[in-house]
Amino acid sequence: MPEDLNKKETPNLHVLPLKSKKDDQDDFSRLAARLEKKIGRIETELRDSISHLNKDIRDLLHTKNIAFDEKNIQTDLNALYQQLEGRMQKTLDELSRREAHQRKEKDAVKVIKDKTSQLIKLLSLDFYKTVLGRLGSAEYEEEVDPFGMDRRLVEKIKPLFDFLYHKYWRISVTGINNIPDEGKALIVANHSGTVPYDGAMIKTSILNEHPRRKDARFLVEDFVYHMPILGTFMYRIGGVRACPENAELLLNAGHLVIVFPEGVKGIGKLYRERYKLQRFGRGGFIKLCMKTNAPLIPVGVVGAEEIHPIMMKSNILAKTIGVPYIPITPTFPLLGLLGCIPLPSKWSIHFGEPIRFDSYGPKAMDDELLIHKLSEKVRMNIQEIIFDLLRKRRSVWVG
Amino acid sequence: MAVERKKTKSADTPHGTIVVTGTSGFKGSRIIKALEADPRYSSIVAIDARKPPPDTKKTKFYKLDLIETLADSKLAEILKSERCDTLVHCAFPITPPKNPSVAHELISIGTLYVMTACAEARVRKVILASTTDVYGAFPTNPNFLQENVHPPRGDRQSQFLADKIDAEKQGLKFAAKYPDRVVTILRSCTILGPTIQSYKTNYLRRPFVTTMMGFDPLVQFVHEDDLIRSFMLAIEKDAPGIFNIVGDGVLPLSRVIKICGKMNLRLPQMGFKTMVQLLWLADISPAPASHVDFLRYLCVADGAKAKKGLGFVPRFSTKEALLSFVGAERLREVRLIEA
Repeated sequence: MPEDLNKKETPNLHVLPLKSKKDDQDDFSRLAARLEKKIGRIETELRDSISHLNKDIRDLLHTKNIAFDEKNIQTDLNALYQQLEGRMQKTLDELSRREAHQRKEKDAVKVIKDKTSQLIKLLSLDFYKTVLGRLGSAEYEEEVDPFGMDRRLVEKIKPLFDFLYHKYWRISVTGINNIPDEGKALIVANHSGTVPYDGAMIKTSILNEHPRRKDARFLVEDFVYHMPILGTFMYRIGGVRACPENAELLLNAGHLVIVFPEGVKGIGKLYRERYKLQRFGRGGFIKLCMKTNAPLIPVGVVGAEEIHPIMMKSNILAKTIGVPYIPITPTFPLLGLLGCIPLPSKWSIHFGEPIRFDSYGPKAMDDELLIHKLSEKVRMNIQEIIFDLLRKRRSVWVG
Repeated sequence: MAVERKKTKSADTPHGTIVVTGTSGFKGSRIIKALEADPRYSSIVAIDARKPPPDTKKTKFYKLDLIETLADSKLAEILKSERCDTLVHCAFPITPPKNPSVAHELISIGTLYVMTACAEARVRKVILASTTDVYGAFPTNPNFLQENVHPPRGDRQSQFLADKIDAEKQGLKFAAKYPDRVVTILRSCTILGPTIQSYKTNYLRRPFVTTMMGFDPLVQFVHEDDLIRSFMLAIEKDAPGIFNIVGDGVLPLSRVIKICGKMNLRLPQMGFKTMVQLLWLADISPAPASHVDFLRYLCVADGAKAKKGLGFVPRFSTKEALLSFVGAERLREVRLIEA
């Protein structure tokens, strides 16, 4: 038995972990090392006492010449050994319990520290500044391009537009290859839907479907910029106030520019007038194309007319608020804010073949009759695209 | 020896006498400093209602208040006796004064007097200091206002700006009447830099900067050194017409306030104007209520014409001008720069 005990190696006590880190893993290894150290000490104690005992017994046997009752001694020793083992086990249990207790205390201290740091954060002014900023319009505070577009905000809200594009209106796009791979182009579309989602959707369709173009900007009606929040928001997501100067600057910089020559007349027309194109402004977009030599791409959007069908319009009330019209749809203002949710019609967008005005000389810009004729031609072109798309449509909601 | 050098320099260059009005103001004093430092200009005359510019070697000073009666004939006499070649008129209050009639007298009538005196004394070139604020802030403004395309509409918003537009008109009338003479009008956007003090820097100096809820217009700045450089360019070259003097790039107002490290206090639109007017009367607001639209709508000018016609390329962008202002402001806080 003593030989057996002697065979056991004393554990290596020199490789204790350093006290540098407070990780859980480190705590565990330190605990294990400590336990091992203690066990080693107890073992050596035990070994010493047993060898002492052995020596004592041999001496006793030698000197007194007592008859050697091996069996008795064996049982005695066994009993002693078991007793010792029991004591060792007890100490070990006690040790591990104490360690666990210490660990618990440490965890509690950690939790308290975390809570206090949170409290300090709550009490500091900086925290409220950032929260207030976020509640306000922190998204608008990043650097912007010369026309006020904030790329970070655009990226942030892209998932929303993608949801509307893929899941809600399930937009199908045709003729995307009619947009040139590079260089300027003026995209002229019909305007509908009470709330100008169509501009954003045409922009998203170019972003999602066209392999190269990422730089479409849309022109927005004046009245939006009179209004708080909406005006700023439109600027930050890439809308630009509709005026020839802005469009010219954008086209000369090589951008795609989306324009709705119908303006407010188109977007706010009654449901019974749906898909009937209104007058196309004063032909400013034709002059723009001639001036900048940009090709014109006619675009038809079908499906947007049904998202907010206008039954009636209240113009007197609108004038007092300063908006061009207040629509009365089957859901608005009947359902209040719920009525502002557009209906999930199925949309389709077709990009027509580019029209070029290069062949007209520089004098053509002053020829109002010609400008009007060309504008009417473009209008008929878009009307034709819309008729085509409507012919193919079986249902408003399924498409 | 000094005299000799002076002679050779003046013989080299054809620059005649340069007269600067309003030399106790920011623009006037800085232009005098720049002219003093440039050896090409030998004869400089400063005119001001208050005190002569400090530390000058080649500048003659005349005390003249442009508001007083017969200021035009007095000025004409000075210009004649000094054989004035170029006149730089920047005797304008940089901040809207409390008393609108004084402002009208100085800005509008003062410029009228200067123009009559220039006509009388056959001054070859007149340079007028103006501001892009004269375009006015409107939701119908294009993103970049151009000198020859967009007429100034600021008179619909504020009497202060109406007077400034009137001063510009005096200059343009003079140019139309005497086509052989050069009239340059420099419209600078908001000037920022380490030393300038105006109602706009006062606005940005407050711990709480009030803006209008839901509006965040784009703003642009020009650095004060760039502005003075543009005046020197206009003195050097003969470039008749109006030029926008602006820094490159734009910043949203909220971002400007964030860069300044101030709190953006967004107040609702309702009653904002009344509040600002009351605070203006109580001497707390830096500008009258008529300037509120600049916190709401866009007024950004296109600097392309100045680049082409004047050869003015700003060295500081809008953001760099702002950072230079903010940096100086912080040094001033710890008293490393005297206010």
